[in-house]
Amino acid sequence: MLEVKDLAKHFGGVKAVDGLDLHVRQGEILGLIGPNGSGKSTTVNLVCGVYPATAGTVWLEGQEITPLPMHRRLTAGIARTFQNIRLFGQLTVWQNLWMAQNAPDHVREQGFFARWFGGQARARASAMDYLDFAGLAEKADELASALSFGEQRRLEMARALAAKPRVLLLDEPAAGMSAAEIETLDERIRRLRKGGLTILLIEHHMELVMGIADRIVVLNFGRRIAEGTPAEVQADRAVREAYLGTS
Amino acid sequence: MMIDFLQSLVDGVLVGTTYSLIGIGFTLIFGVMHKINLSYASASVGGAYCGLLLVGAAGGKSALLVFLMAAAAAGVIGYVVYLTCFRFIPASHPLGTLMSTVGMLLLIDEIVVHATFGVPVAYPPLYEGPSIELGELYIRPDYLMVFAVGIAAMTVLTLLLYRSRLGLATRAVSQQPVAAQLCGIALYRVNAATFVVTGVLGGIAGAMIGASVGMLSPLLVLPLTVKGLIVTVIGGLGSIPGAIVAGLMVGGFENVLQYYRGVTERDLYVMLLLFVFLVFRPGGLFAAKSERN
Amino acid sequence: MDFYLALLQVIGIHALIGLSAYVVILTGQVSLAQAGFFAIGAYVAGMLTVLAGWHLIPALLAAGLVAGAVAFLVGFPALRVKGLMLVVATTAFGEAVRLFFFNFDYQVAKGGVRVGPLGGEGFKQIRFFPENGYTTLDVLVFIWVVVGVVMALLWWMDRSRAGAVLRAVGEDELAAQAMGIDLTAVKVAAMTAGGVIAGFGGAIYAHYTTHIEHFNFGIVLATFAIAYPILGGLSTAFGTVVAVLFIQGLLIEGLRFLGDWRNLLFGALIVLAMNLRPHGLLDAATTLRLRRLFGRGGAGRDA
Ligand SMILES: Nc1ncnc2c1ncn2[C@@H]1O[C@H](COP(=O)(O)OP(=O)(O)OP(=O)(O)O)[C@@H](O)[C@H]1O
Ligand SMILES: [Mg+2]
Repeated sequence: MLEVKDLAKHFGGVKAVDGLDLHVRQGEILGLIGPNGSGKSTTVNLVCGVYPATAGTVWLEGQEITPLPMHRRLTAGIARTFQNIRLFGQLTVWQNLWMAQNAPDHVREQGFFARWFGGQARARASAMDYLDFAGLAEKADELASALSFGEQRRLEMARALAAKPRVLLLDEPAAGMSAAEIETLDERIRRLRKGGLTILLIEHHMELVMGIADRIVVLNFGRRIAEGTPAEVQADRAVREAYLGTS
Repeated sequence: MMIDFLQSLVDGVLVGTTYSLIGIGFTLIFGVMHKINLSYASASVGGAYCGLLLVGAAGGKSALLVFLMAAAAAGVIGYVVYLTCFRFIPASHPLGTLMSTVGMLLLIDEIVVHATFGVPVAYPPLYEGPSIELGELYIRPDYLMVFAVGIAAMTVLTLLLYRSRLGLATRAVSQQPVAAQLCGIALYRVNAATFVVTGVLGGIAGAMIGASVGMLSPLLVLPLTVKGLIVTVIGGLGSIPGAIVAGLMVGGFENVLQYYRGVTERDLYVMLLLFVFLVFRPGGLFAAKSERN
Repeated sequence: MDFYLALLQVIGIHALIGLSAYVVILTGQVSLAQAGFFAIGAYVAGMLTVLAGWHLIPALLAAGLVAGAVAFLVGFPALRVKGLMLVVATTAFGEAVRLFFFNFDYQVAKGGVRVGPLGGEGFKQIRFFPENGYTTLDVLVFIWVVVGVVMALLWWMDRSRAGAVLRAVGEDELAAQAMGIDLTAVKVAAMTAGGVIAGFGGAIYAHYTTHIEHFNFGIVLATFAIAYPILGGLSTAFGTVVAVLFIQGLLIEGLRFLGDWRNLLFGALIVLAMNLRPHGLLDAATTLRLRRLFGRGGAGRDA
């Protein structure tokens, strides 16, 4: 589904990502883990086109998307959340989802004129489905900046889903959440997989990733050091060393 | 022909030091606060007025004293600007800060107009004497003095920034505000100090402008603001050497064009010069290293 | 009476330039180029009615188109710079336009007198209104019809996806792009719309004063243009108009009895206002509360 070949990103002397190969298969949850600064967020940014890669290519369903600008990658079917929440704080909750309705489906459904200058009813109805899913339906008309931290994280995810992506990139969706919140998050991600969505999950919370990921890729210093099922990865010596810092 | 060109170039470059100083002020504040202080040039001119008024009120006549008082007064104004426009407006509201510096610009300008009844006032030259002749080239002594004072001010500033604890703290804050705070640097104090220092610098610049033009008028404020901002951008945001070179460059450039194309067209070419830089060298003369976010 | 009519005329014209800056600033671009677009509109419309003998309405539309086209062209290089750089670049553009007209002569003989722009002397005798017998009240109505149309369009925009997209871009460009919004299209469109509105404003201004000069279009006007939306708040176009009323009506005219002291208070009040309400008078939270109060927008999930 989503394939990354020989991807590299250097910031001056820092090799944030360095010759990475990844393959996220249709309908699976691929966990991407690694110590702080190992290049996970940079990988997401490269896949989304936040900045150009130093080297390497990205394919979505066999189509190369490396030359596409950021906004076209969303319409191609890749949506993401941000590790450090980046909502539109001065817009209301449902309007945040409205902003993501840029997929070809939305454009076809709504028609150019109605989409840009027409009423909000249709767009809102479609957004409400995802707000229900994220448990934010009652907050639809609050300002996004007025939400609590946990709610903002859920809104990030709802906004990405509202784009009707085929691949969802979640950058540490559980960071800063309580144990109870993580449990519902876990359940939500499982429901998404059931719905056929392909997910790349970046997470430091081991219990969560190990529990739901089908496969896991471990990064260190921008390189892949291990890949396999959660059990295989947990047993891997290189992984333990990377996390414990003994090399 | 050649000599006329050289003459206007030299005059322009000498007076360009005032642009350099204003440019440095904009750049320093931007470096530390990551915001623009649009009231800076008006505070500088306001300080220059204060110097004149204070010394005049005390019955003094010394041009040197006027200079010193101008610098001191502008330092105080700088602190007031910090309090009114930066200290209490949250960092997440850059437009609020921008607008209040505009308010401050208008306020300072109006106080000056009010105090002087809108009439330009004569400003004492720092030095009077015969022109220095270099072949066919005349160097006006007051211009030379302006240049010398400007260079002296820049040298002191550089020493302050790179040799003193305050300078170290300023640079730390401009690079990593959060980390600097963790290291026990009092952010507000450093910010306030930056405003006082840049204010003093501006006061010197204002007095130099008064001295080189021979008079001071509120009409100087807006052109000075625009030129100062242009110098900041041409020099590269946050770069002090850039601001210095760009100030001299813009000063020379505009004086030469004034000579060839007249005063009405002069500024048009300065704007074009800026556009050339924005297109071909958007980072400015001394582009600062790109920041990470 | 005439005093109030004249005041309302000024307010209408300033509302237009404020609204032109409003559209642009929604996308996070602090543009001091609006006075330049306003100047272009003024000179184009003036030349069309005076030199080409057009009626004011087509001249007004043409002025909007030309100013919009220039703004469209400015929009692309403006994409490359942000923050302070954009402020300086747009200031320089506005100044370049002003200085262009400072040096611009285009006079023709009409009925024995030479008319048209004449450099530093300005462009005199833009007499469409008096020649066609418009009274002060007629002119006022004309101005406010244009303001009304622009306001209606912006009100509509604010409620549609277009308005929300502009705000999303203004708040976080990166997130907006990641959500599939085409930054180039949005920012250039906003700049173009701002140019059109400023062009309308300039066209009206030229005919309202009958005599325009380059210094009418300087940095002070550009600063006022951005001051209105910033003071008024960016959540609705009404904020901008409220700010124009506040500044032109209350601060400038209302405080006239203070004489000289008025100008002093003016700057101080702006500083005070921004310290008290850094998001402007009508910020998003306030507008939301107002909407709820009047039973709109907050109507729950089946709205
Ligand atoms: N814009 C940038 N400029 C310079 N260096 C960067 C930039 N972004 C990331 N880096 C560097 O690249 C490396 C990888 O960063 P990245 O954010 O991808 O790590 P991460 O795996 O997401 O870490 P974390 O678990 O802390 O989120 C780090 O050393 C970081 O300092
Ligand atoms: Mg990360």
